[in-house]
Amino acid sequence: MDTVIRFVKKPLKLLLRLLWFVFDFLANGVIRPIHKLFFAVFKGVGDFFASIPRARRENPSSFKRGLSSLFLPGLGQLKNGQWYKGVPILAILVLFLLIEFISGNYIYAPGEIANYPAEENLYFFRDYGGIFTRGIWGFFTLGALVAGDVYRGEPIVTEDARLDWMMADNSRTLMGEGVIVLVFMAFFLAIWAFSVRDAYMTHIKLRAGMEIERFKKWIRNVWDDYFAYIIIIPGAALLVLFTLMPFLFSFMVGFTNYDAAISLRANLIEWHGLTTFREVFGAEPGFRDFFITTLGWTTFYAIVSSITVYVMGFIQAMVIESRPIVGKRVWRLILILPWAVPGMVALLVFSNIFDASDGLLNQILSRHDLLDTTRTILRFEFFPFDRFAFFDDIWLVRDRVGDIEWFTHHENANLARLIIILVNLWMGYPYFMLLITGVLGTIPSELYEAADIDGGSANQKFRFITFPWVLRATAPVIITTFTFNFNNFGVIYFFTGGGPAYPRAEVPQALIGIEPGKTDILISWIYTMAFESGDHDTYNLAAVYSIMVFVLIAFVSIYYLSRLRSFWEEDD
Amino acid sequence: MLMFWVRLKRALFALFAYTWLIMTVIIALVPISYMVSAAFSPVRRLRDVPVIPRITEWSLVNFREVFTYRSTGGQLLPDYVQSFLVTGLVATVTTILVVIFSSLVGFAFTRYRIKGKKPALLFMLGLQMFPGFMGMIAIFLIFRVFGWLNNPFMLALIYVGGAIPFNTFIVRGFMRNVPKSLDEAAAIDGATNLQIMRKIIVPLAKPIMGFIAINAFMGPWMDYILPSIVMPRNETVAMWLFRMNDPATTPHEPMLFMAGAMFISVPIIIVQIKMQKYVTYGLVSGGEKG
Repeated sequence: MDTVIRFVKKPLKLLLRLLWFVFDFLANGVIRPIHKLFFAVFKGVGDFFASIPRARRENPSSFKRGLSSLFLPGLGQLKNGQWYKGVPILAILVLFLLIEFISGNYIYAPGEIANYPAEENLYFFRDYGGIFTRGIWGFFTLGALVAGDVYRGEPIVTEDARLDWMMADNSRTLMGEGVIVLVFMAFFLAIWAFSVRDAYMTHIKLRAGMEIERFKKWIRNVWDDYFAYIIIIPGAALLVLFTLMPFLFSFMVGFTNYDAAISLRANLIEWHGLTTFREVFGAEPGFRDFFITTLGWTTFYAIVSSITVYVMGFIQAMVIESRPIVGKRVWRLILILPWAVPGMVALLVFSNIFDASDGLLNQILSRHDLLDTTRTILRFEFFPFDRFAFFDDIWLVRDRVGDIEWFTHHENANLARLIIILVNLWMGYPYFMLLITGVLGTIPSELYEAADIDGGSANQKFRFITFPWVLRATAPVIITTFTFNFNNFGVIYFFTGGGPAYPRAEVPQALIGIEPGKTDILISWIYTMAFESGDHDTYNLAAVYSIMVFVLIAFVSIYYLSRLRSFWEEDD
Repeated sequence: MLMFWVRLKRALFALFAYTWLIMTVIIALVPISYMVSAAFSPVRRLRDVPVIPRITEWSLVNFREVFTYRSTGGQLLPDYVQSFLVTGLVATVTTILVVIFSSLVGFAFTRYRIKGKKPALLFMLGLQMFPGFMGMIAIFLIFRVFGWLNNPFMLALIYVGGAIPFNTFIVRGFMRNVPKSLDEAAAIDGATNLQIMRKIIVPLAKPIMGFIAINAFMGPWMDYILPSIVMPRNETVAMWLFRMNDPATTPHEPMLFMAGAMFISVPIIIVQIKMQKYVTYGLVSGGEKG
């Protein structure tokens, strides 16, 4: 009876643990952050609107000061007597207006519009607006006129336009400029809002008897009090310009119909709402099925490759650190070479090694007459996973005399996947070997001594001391390795290039030209879909997929962070 | 008798351990020796390259080709040298700016009270998770609008912007283990912000800044995707390597690829091996200990 209970108990325990993990992940990794985010946003907005009538009620005269800054940014500061604040803010406003005016064609507008029949369509901002108004117009409409249209009695052309407005609209450029303009506008609005708030707050202080500082003193005070903010500025600016703005742009492409059918200047891109998302989630079975297949392989690859490099690194560290090995440093030096070789070079070399016609492996095998033997081994059907998707056809190496197609024939897909994991292991484990060797050195020897006194076997020492200690120290790295591998573009792109390809007959109509290869992970599929499909380059689908990758990884990482108490500890 | 069994067990273990190590060493070395062998071999086809370099037949013919090949006639420098210089410039500019900007951000996030620090950190973490090159359409566009395509300095700026989130976490992880009593004492003595920064924080943070610098310098050498989009006419080393190895483009010269790859790999390998001791910084970059 006891044995029965023991045999049932363990899997049951594991199952419960797994269930708990899933539940915990959903609760702490998905629902809580979303709830928190929404709560914070609503609370912020609510507090803001609640504070306005209160300010008006409590400090009417200061509120008016704020209003004058709302009317004209900087005016409140001037009235407060702080010219050194008011003048720069006003100057920024003037600069904005000036840029808008100079970059636009406003001077021509009155004369030309007077002669224009009122009932005809006229896109005022398109024709006369400056960089800001035109940018906003372009962002919301994504253009109005394309090659072949007739507008104001003239044909719209794609090159050599006699007048600016005769040029066909390029939706992509309009959208890009729109994002840039919106970011700058947001920056300007932030200054405006600051000006209102500052005018109000300063006036309150003035009424309480504060003296207006002299310019020099003010500068010094700002430098001292806001030093941390000032030193952030250059980094933040670069982050906004080269990371945030591209991010926003790509995010928005997901809500358009920008796919292979769009030819810029001949077609307009249109805002499409959630259509593409709906297609991915089922309206278009091809999108959904290939997404799920690829996601499955990506997750499998990320998990298995993280585990294999970790385990192999652990084994290697233990072996090198074990007593009989002499020359530990030398062994380690040789074994970390694969890690030291730049990843791209290693992967390209591997792609040559596994090349079907010129590759080193086929060359060696054929020189020693081992091609058929290899094929027999690979086809060997002792594996009980016949119907398990990932191993389904690994042993069905193509029946062909001659070279083995490691990853060019579609029936070899799982062989190619196995090779990818092995190559990743080759490249990745030395890092963990080094890491774990370092951690092994930090285990206090008293622990082992105590174990010796208690008569612990080597096995037990490993199980109860070494392993838990190392695992605890390296847990963060395992997670980052997982997210890194999930987006490990290089391994696929440089090594197999995503191949083997799906046979044409299996690809649904909607995906022709942008289908993934059988070893493509999401990230490499997204890249080839957007940039390397020639006439089929599809941006909206690629953007939707990358948003989904982003959300998936974000949930995993947030969950992981939520479990790290130290991240949330205040540290100042 | 017991002693004998223990000894036998040990001997067997030693035998096993050495066999295992020798096996793994061989596997680790085969691709590398293949690259070296191909780089120094006089044959024209990859198929004829032996795994183990044949020392008696070595030749520098591939290297000579790498260092003389010009894809267009009127070029001043050979393609490889040109791309090497370009990448060197990118890497240098990147390193300088990354060290300055991201350590400033990192210091601000560890040494000072800042409103909205947590949201900012989370925001940066989030930005990092977005597949970077999806922003490339936008980056390409911005670059075209402002005429920055093919400009190595602007490429470097992208690297700098991209490096800030990660490095902020690195600096933060490092600096929170450095006691604050020193800068607090200095502030009480009336030192200004700049003085504290120059005299106290920077010297304390030197090791981590060195780490950031080396990382930043190494990055551009092996980055392919970004330069291939924003520098279409101004090749970097990675683009050169990829072009040589790509069967879809001409010339497809895997032998030259091997030579060029080896030339660029040797310094990188040396630096990486020297950097070994920093590997445990991975623990820092993983965020914080649990």
